[in-house]
Amino acid sequence: MLVGQLLSAGIELALNQLLQLDPDCQGRLKKLSGKQLQVSVNELPWSLLFTFSGQIDVSALERNEEQAAMESSADCHITLGLGTLSDLKDSSKISQLIQQGKLDLAGDINVAQGFSNLMKELDIDWEEQLSKYTGDVVAHQTFSSVKSFFTSAQQEIDKLAAQFSTHLTQPEAVAVKPVEVDDFCEQVNVLRSASDRLEARIDQLIASQQDDQ
Amino acid sequence: MSVSEKHASTAANPSASNKQAPESTEKTHFGFQQVDKSAKASMVAEVFQSVAAKYDIMNDVMSLGIHRLWKRFTIDCSGARAGHKVLDLAGGTGDLTAKFSRIVGESGEVVLADINDAMLRVGRDKLRDKGIVSNVKYVQANAEALPFPDNSFDIITIAFGLRNVTDKDKALASMYRVLKPGGRLLVLEFSKPTSEVLNKVYDAYSFHLLPKIGELVAKDGDSYKYLAESIRMHPEQDVLKDMMQGAGFEQVTYHNLTGGIVALHRGFKF
Repeated sequence: MLVGQLLSAGIELALNQLLQLDPDCQGRLKKLSGKQLQVSVNELPWSLLFTFSGQIDVSALERNEEQAAMESSADCHITLGLGTLSDLKDSSKISQLIQQGKLDLAGDINVAQGFSNLMKELDIDWEEQLSKYTGDVVAHQTFSSVKSFFTSAQQEIDKLAAQFSTHLTQPEAVAVKPVEVDDFCEQVNVLRSASDRLEARIDQLIASQQDDQ
Repeated sequence: MSVSEKHASTAANPSASNKQAPESTEKTHFGFQQVDKSAKASMVAEVFQSVAAKYDIMNDVMSLGIHRLWKRFTIDCSGARAGHKVLDLAGGTGDLTAKFSRIVGESGEVVLADINDAMLRVGRDKLRDKGIVSNVKYVQANAEALPFPDNSFDIITIAFGLRNVTDKDKALASMYRVLKPGGRLLVLEFSKPTSEVLNKVYDAYSFHLLPKIGELVAKDGDSYKYLAESIRMHPEQDVLKDMMQGAGFEQVTYHNLTGGIVALHRGFKF
């Protein structure tokens, strides 16, 4: 019974921690102050109600008749499937998702878009956050190393991808190239000369043996 | 000398399975002891005066933090929304008030009421430190005689407070009076575990471990002995439901939480 509360507590904690790491987001959060957004995911037995003030409070509402009456109190109510959840990151897609029938929205669309923008535009200086615990030098070195590692890794991945792509797109070789034919002919000529010389030498040896007898 | 020893007039027969505390017109229970009705409020006040400073940390230690989920569940069942007027009765250190304050917003109001001024002070300081000031009022009030006009609140909550009230029927009637028609009362309180095994484990924990934790953390084992005893003397789920219906509440239901260790009762006034 308390699973919903555990989930909502976890989401609430995570959201507010993230918001605290970006002081500039307070302006965007203020625009949503006093609003409520309810998100019902078809696969879950609860709806999540986000209440915006100086922070975000998350409630888990069980889906029964009594709560259904409560649902109408939210400024915006979104109903969607679990697979569509990740598409909400891009607020410009909301209208498209509604048209595709993947998302049902009742109420003020600006609340949903505002929340989406709030999370999307979070700009957290992770190096600064780490420096609070490790000091500036260690934080800078750590992030430089990590950045360098990821840049190198990205380059390697790009190179491998290019090679793989070439391998896949290059037509299968069905005949030898001219240069390979020339090389082969040259080698045959050398072999023929060598065998002629050998034959002449053998003939010479046989002749000299017959003379001795 | 402990709080209970100072005020007890006669000792009652301790029973962990009381369905409802027997209350004569002159006497009432204070944990497992029978005391004068007039003395109970001050005795309870002493308990909370003693534990106020360590109240929050003790709640976390005693319940392993689960009390936060019980309180969340209460708020989730409250139907609170912007503009509502909420009474957080026996609100103590303001856990419910803080969240209600953000939900009801500037257009709403939360009244944090407690009979104990020490608890109220701790709650007020805590909420102010969190920046919660504009829509919260603090009232020192006795639940049996609430100092508010009729039909004042959309929601009333009393979390872990009703068992300490001397006359519970009178308190429920008082809550019913100040609740608006259409409003709801939520009573979050320790109750009776639904499983016998859990009941035995819970008894062992409450009577042996809990006072020791209280002694260690809050330097007050007696108050936490009282806590364990007062839980056993509190009406169990169905009895409290009947009491709420007797006070006039309708559509009264309850949810057992954590195997019935705690129950949330909810009733409406129409």
